[in-house]
Amino acid sequence: MVTLEGDRLVFRFPDVHEQARLTVTFQRTLRIPDDDRHYPLPPGLGGFPLRHMDDYRGQLPKPWVERGGVLMPMHQAEAMWISFASHYPMAVTVAAGKVNAITGSALTRGLHRRPQNYLVTPDQPWLDGFCVEKGLIRQFVAMPLGQGYSVEEQVSRTAEHGGLQLIVRPLKAAAYRRLQRERNDIARRTAFDAYCLSSDMGLAPGGRMRQEVYEDPFETADWAQKHVSRCFITIVNGALWLPMTGEALPSVPPTASDYTAAGLPWFEYYNPGAVALPGSKTLAKVKSVKAMSGSKGVSALLENDSADVQRRIRIHPSRPRRVREGRS
Amino acid sequence: MPASRPPRRSSSRKPRSTSQPRFGAYIREVRERLRKADPRFSLRQVALRIHVQPAYLSQVERGNVAPPSEVTIRRLAKDLGEDLDVLLALAGKVSDDLQEVIRRRPALFAELLRSLKGAPTHAVLRVVREVRDGKW
Repeated sequence: MVTLEGDRLVFRFPDVHEQARLTVTFQRTLRIPDDDRHYPLPPGLGGFPLRHMDDYRGQLPKPWVERGGVLMPMHQAEAMWISFASHYPMAVTVAAGKVNAITGSALTRGLHRRPQNYLVTPDQPWLDGFCVEKGLIRQFVAMPLGQGYSVEEQVSRTAEHGGLQLIVRPLKAAAYRRLQRERNDIARRTAFDAYCLSSDMGLAPGGRMRQEVYEDPFETADWAQKHVSRCFITIVNGALWLPMTGEALPSVPPTASDYTAAGLPWFEYYNPGAVALPGSKTLAKVKSVKAMSGSKGVSALLENDSADVQRRIRIHPSRPRRVREGRS
Repeated sequence: MPASRPPRRSSSRKPRSTSQPRFGAYIREVRERLRKADPRFSLRQVALRIHVQPAYLSQVERGNVAPPSEVTIRRLAKDLGEDLDVLLALAGKVSDDLQEVIRRRPALFAELLRSLKGAPTHAVLRVVREVRDGKW
């Protein structure tokens, strides 16, 4: 069961375990510069608004309504990251335009180990982009569907789906009880993520930042694969949000260079007990928004100045009350 | 000789139900909490923003008068960042839009609400907040 509570998506599996619950939020953030540097993790500047698709069904295209799920507005070239909060282990498949954000392959419903096509919470608290190399991702950046920037268009050669898709499975209750016996402190770990895209916009690869996607520490048989909840997040072009919903959109976040010049911190997540996945060769080949706009002879990014990062805060899994989440 | 009338004790009306003092106390608690961090949430400034007299808002907070109209409660909810339906419930009111919904099929909605009275939270959430999954 997936519910929308405020601007959070909550996945619950009461049939598996009463604590089988995952909260996902989509965080507004700086768009990191798309240059030759590898940046640390940018801050969270508050959650994107999420709204039930069905609340606006009379004003939306029929294909959007048929897919269900939720609506989320993003400005063109705006960045976001997904925050996952759970005490109970969950396997989460994340796709953009139905292209898996970890493997670069087409979205499938099953869990696969080679290559691993999902992330595991709470060990993985955030996902900021497409996994292009071991320990390196390209930031999620919203771009209009149909202009060739999105990963969906570059990998699948279609501009059909856009948005973001989440598929969540809980750990089996027996495996959870075993885990509690082995590591009775796991419940203190937290993570946050949630994200929804709209059909009008797709996610494209932005600048590079250091973030590891971790290998699954459980056995395949530990996952309750018959219990699946999924959500399509339709990303609405920010320019359409006010006429569509009557609500004002949050302002555009500051630039990375302005944020850094103000002396504000960036972040690093360090989990010494986890093994990083190698990254996707398919995703490594996709062009970033800057590269694509260069090949088109246009300028899709109005601001792309490099940032000279001075302040970094390292966050450990043992200190889950991260400071990364901010207020809008 | 006509019987003398009992002296008027107060022009203030007494609360009509037990929900009203809870409404006023809740509003006061929320506003005072906000005021500690932001002086704009003084009784006077909040009253001005929601278009009522400060003395009237004070009476409401103390439960000496009935809760204000739905329009004023809407302004209050917006100003204090509170959930409108929660404030209306504390005031013993049902919003106009909900009344209209119930009026259309009163028996059905009465039955629905009674059936959910003892339901576990996840069952209620399934009815009111579940995100519908479609074809994709």
